[in-house]
Amino acid sequence: MESNAGTTEPRSNLTASDGAQVTALESLHFTDEIHRLISAPVTDSSTSFMALLELPPPQAVELLHSSDSPKLLATSSPNVEDFKGSFHFPSNTGLIERDARFSGEANNSNGKRNSPEPKDLSANPEKAVKSEPAETESSQPLVSDPALEKRSIKRKDRENKVKGSTKKSKTAANESSEDAEKLPYVHVRARRGQATDSHSLAERARREKINARMKLLQELVPGCNKISGTALVLDEIINHAQSLQQQVEFLSMRLAAVNPRIDVNLDSILTSESGSLMDSNLPSLVMPVMWPEVQGNGHRQQYLHQWHVDALHQPVWGREEVCNNYITPENSLLTYDSSTNSETLHANQLKMEL
Amino acid sequence: MCPHSSLKQEFLKKWIMGLQRCSFSKKNMSILERKKTIKLSADIAMASARNGTTRWSRALISNASKDGSDNRLVQQILGPESNTPVAAITNKARTRRALVCKKIVKRSRRQIRRRRRKCVAAAPVKAVTSSIAKHLVRKRTQVLKTLIPGGEFMDEICLIEETLDYITSLRVQVDVMRSVASASVRASEP
Repeated sequence: MESNAGTTEPRSNLTASDGAQVTALESLHFTDEIHRLISAPVTDSSTSFMALLELPPPQAVELLHSSDSPKLLATSSPNVEDFKGSFHFPSNTGLIERDARFSGEANNSNGKRNSPEPKDLSANPEKAVKSEPAETESSQPLVSDPALEKRSIKRKDRENKVKGSTKKSKTAANESSEDAEKLPYVHVRARRGQATDSHSLAERARREKINARMKLLQELVPGCNKISGTALVLDEIINHAQSLQQQVEFLSMRLAAVNPRIDVNLDSILTSESGSLMDSNLPSLVMPVMWPEVQGNGHRQQYLHQWHVDALHQPVWGREEVCNNYITPENSLLTYDSSTNSETLHANQLKMEL
Repeated sequence: MCPHSSLKQEFLKKWIMGLQRCSFSKKNMSILERKKTIKLSADIAMASARNGTTRWSRALISNASKDGSDNRLVQQILGPESNTPVAAITNKARTRRALVCKKIVKRSRRQIRRRRRKCVAAAPVKAVTSSIAKHLVRKRTQVLKTLIPGGEFMDEICLIEETLDYITSLRVQVDVMRSVASASVRASEP
């Protein structure tokens, strides 16, 4: 009980902050949601799913589970109607179905409370049919209502009483044992017509987890969205990773060929890089502030004047957001270099825009 | 997807620092040596940008530290933050042992399941197609395990998570290196 209460508190904080930050993105709504759930104060508003990955995977998964599991509880019909009545969010179908899948997997991942729950579900076929929409709609409170928290807490208390000991056999068997440490049990929902055997449930949970992650991968790798079938998607992923590794090799060879010495490389890089950045007359004292951590060499100072000169001659690079990638190397250079020293450069960018 | 600019900037910073440290050691290197140094420093910078949070980064660093010739380089690059390789290696050993134990448990359970399911016979066509699909997927995951550093010790779920992270890191690396290469080419033109 205490662990449940423990998990509800962080969730209440998260849902409160989630209510404040609802952004609509074209793809990866779900992963943004995850990200928001995980670290609401830390993240920027322009979250990508990279932020999800910056969190170590087990923590991300665990937070998913801890946030999902209390929501996706019983399938008793009064709760379904309660859920249906309390949604204020515009429904995003992709979001919902991803939530459903994830909620299903979160339910099945850690402990298995097999016997009591599937019996309940098999006893009420109409409720089992509603279990899928209940899942999808119950996943909505993932981002919304603190009012639903109370209901979920109540349901969780009810479920606790019927908790079986089968979960102990499962936690040892489960691959994601780090999640089992955080959550004492995970609700399992057996779908209609599927075996309620503990092994098959575990396998189904694992399969759902893998499918969820494969979807994330599909969105990451370009061109995988249209492909159906795990083997082909894996093919694409492997090709993509191999091509990236080859590109790293070629680029390192190119870099080695360009300069006779590594050291010279750096100086020239910095001049041209910063020259591409400063396309307005910035005060020269910005530049030593910009590169304090990167160099300690005193001879860098002579480049300050070069930078100023270069700035006037360089063409004006487009000011790009962080999220525009793959457009040109120079533009990507601009984005990340401009955020090297964020406080000074924000001021500078404001000046540039004026 | 756009990698975080913070990741790019951190990678660039670490890479440049590592290159600086390497350049002070040897004065004249052949092109292949230079390329190796550059690539190694880039990889180590990328892995250390993850700060040991992901398995592939830890595996990468520990693999690089294993060989005697690269070890000096790695130590130089990592430099003052020398706690990272130590922690990386111990982490990897621990996770390896844990995963081996997990594999044994999984294998035994699979055997039990197989014995239990011998009586349940699937339709022959379905069994054939599903087995073919499983075979293909297993082949692909084997290949993926060879690609990702330290992938052989991961189970499927972790493998997919690690590939996610690894691919984004590779992208960041490629972007940074490409821009640096083009910048240096531009700078070297008289």
